[in-house]
Amino acid sequence: MSEFKINQRDGEGISVIDLKGYLDAHTATDLETAFQKLLNDKKYNIIVNCRDLSYISSAGLGVFMAYIEDVRKNNGDIKLSNMSPKVYNVFDLLGFPILYEIYKDEQEAIVKFKAKAKS
Amino acid sequence: MQSKSAPKQSSSASAILPLFEFSNVVNSSLDLKFILGTVLLTVMGKMLVSKGIVFLKRDQNVFEIVNAKGIDQSAIGQTLKIEKPPRGITQPERLAVSQQSWGYFFKEHHQKLLLPIVSQKRVVGLLSLGERLGGKKYSTAEKQLIESLVNLSASAIEKAVMIEQLKDVNRSLDRKYQELNTLFDLSKEFNVVMDAERVVRLLTFSLLGQVGVSRYAVCLNNDGSLKVVASRIDKQFDNAGVMQQLCVLTNPELIENLIRLKKFKQAAEELQRAGIVAVIPMKIQNQVKGAILLGEKLQGGGYSKVDLEFLYSLANLAIISIENARLFREAIEKQKLEDELAIAREIQKGLLPRTLPDIPQFQTAAINISSKQVGGDYYDALMVSPDEYVIAIGDVSGKGTPAALLMANVQASLRAFAPMGLSISDATSRINDLTCMNTGQDKFITFFWGRLNAKTREFCYVNAGHNPPFLLRANGSVERLEEGGIILGLMKTSIPYIESVVTLQSGDVIVMFTDGVSEAMNAQEQDFTEEKLEAVIKPIRTLIPDEIIKRIQIALEEHTRGNPQSDDITMLVLKAL
Repeated sequence: MSEFKINQRDGEGISVIDLKGYLDAHTATDLETAFQKLLNDKKYNIIVNCRDLSYISSAGLGVFMAYIEDVRKNNGDIKLSNMSPKVYNVFDLLGFPILYEIYKDEQEAIVKFKAKAKS
Repeated sequence: MQSKSAPKQSSSASAILPLFEFSNVVNSSLDLKFILGTVLLTVMGKMLVSKGIVFLKRDQNVFEIVNAKGIDQSAIGQTLKIEKPPRGITQPERLAVSQQSWGYFFKEHHQKLLLPIVSQKRVVGLLSLGERLGGKKYSTAEKQLIESLVNLSASAIEKAVMIEQLKDVNRSLDRKYQELNTLFDLSKEFNVVMDAERVVRLLTFSLLGQVGVSRYAVCLNNDGSLKVVASRIDKQFDNAGVMQQLCVLTNPELIENLIRLKKFKQAAEELQRAGIVAVIPMKIQNQVKGAILLGEKLQGGGYSKVDLEFLYSLANLAIISIENARLFREAIEKQKLEDELAIAREIQKGLLPRTLPDIPQFQTAAINISSKQVGGDYYDALMVSPDEYVIAIGDVSGKGTPAALLMANVQASLRAFAPMGLSISDATSRINDLTCMNTGQDKFITFFWGRLNAKTREFCYVNAGHNPPFLLRANGSVERLEEGGIILGLMKTSIPYIESVVTLQSGDVIVMFTDGVSEAMNAQEQDFTEEKLEAVIKPIRTLIPDEIIKRIQIALEEHTRGNPQSDDITMLVLKAL
């Protein structure tokens, strides 16, 4: 069956979430739990690295929608990076590039967060 | 091309080279914007014009402004309905009166020249040019040059338009594929989820992801009215009136349309104030079982008909799972309840004496028919000394296992105190005190009991709030055994119970019963009543106890006529021989 894994890396005020496998209705709640935990821990600078994400369904995208407001209200952001073209296509189809910052590489997203922290 | 070339050889030669170059540039691109920009700028540059517009044909007679120079850029994207577009170069100023409506647009923007972009004999677009610098007129040769430039680019434009359309089709196919995937993804998951809460959460995520909203509410039908079960809304809206109106919604609708309907106006206005833009009913067999309310799409752009249709499928998919989960839960709860009742019935059965003791010179009979809910009725009969027998009947408030357990408690104390040689009054006080200690304020027991001395034929009894038994004397008179005191379990004994003694002569009958008999109801909700019971037993007191009970049962059945029994039916009959 579809396997899905979440790994979290914390450092320098930024939390990176690595997603791996299939993010669909079945696994969406796992991501929800991860986001909920970040919010509970007051970690609002979040990068979701999609390098190993092979599929995302709208339920998966919905989890991003469900948490983005709370994160931004706390002066943070959810930025996305390292998407495969296939995964990006789904984000693009549903109009997400307008709502989220999507970067080719995780490092670019880190730079953005750091630039903001300095200003 | 040859026939259209300019009459003077030298000017024609100098014109051909740039034309060739232009054709190369334009035809090597598939980028519509680039092609149109190049055409327009080239023509404007050659003719020294500061204003120009390019239109593309989007539909039958509908032309969209796709590029414009020298005029307000907000015009780009506007469409113009042009019936019978010109087949050749025309001057908008000289348009016929019948074409005034669209011709006005060109006059307003000072466009002096208008020509079609023709590819394979079809008009694919239009190009118009404003006044030349210095007010110079367009010569015939110049008009021909403009036509040539436009014609050279026509096939490139058409090709680029087709590619653009293909891209659009491709994208909408991608989107459809994605929508189907969402439905598939959810239905797969819904099939294995038996928890309505989780179904609602997954539904919510899919909604948020699919349409990109952050304001939403999911309402479900709960006993005839909708209740919000999940939401992210800034303003309260869920008053009864709104919910009621949502219940009769037949199709997914935009609030802006609902507001215009009288039936929904009030609800729609309320929802609009809460930031709701669209309402999707969740239906099963034409019944509204819930509704999804959605706010603005964050990416902008309203909900299209396709959006609403997709959401409607999503909603109906979800409601079926939610309904299934509800039915599943109900079935489990029903099973649990039935299991519990089976236990209660078991306890109650265990409490009732399997056989009644043989009392010399007396006959006894008893019956207990427990109702579906198990009412907590109880009777007992036991020998406490060689000549003495205790007989009891009682009814515990409440039903099911708690009632059965309390009855067990009373039985235990009765059986403990009865052989101790206490007076009936004292024993009742003690049973009451024990019961008070063991129960809450809301539980109580109506109880009638007494001690029969088979030798002296004296029956000493206490009635603690129970329906007074009938004492039918052999001579035909009827007495009620009422003396006693307050029902058991309400408060600790402060006033002693009064005990009374009746002496039973040969042929005297005592009929003890619970309110399940006197309050047995027919379909018209009429009680059997104690009066009726008395009327039934009076003529049959000469029969043996077994027979008396049977006759009462028949009278009860005649009264209720199959109306379900709502309480336990218990009777105990004692007859002196």
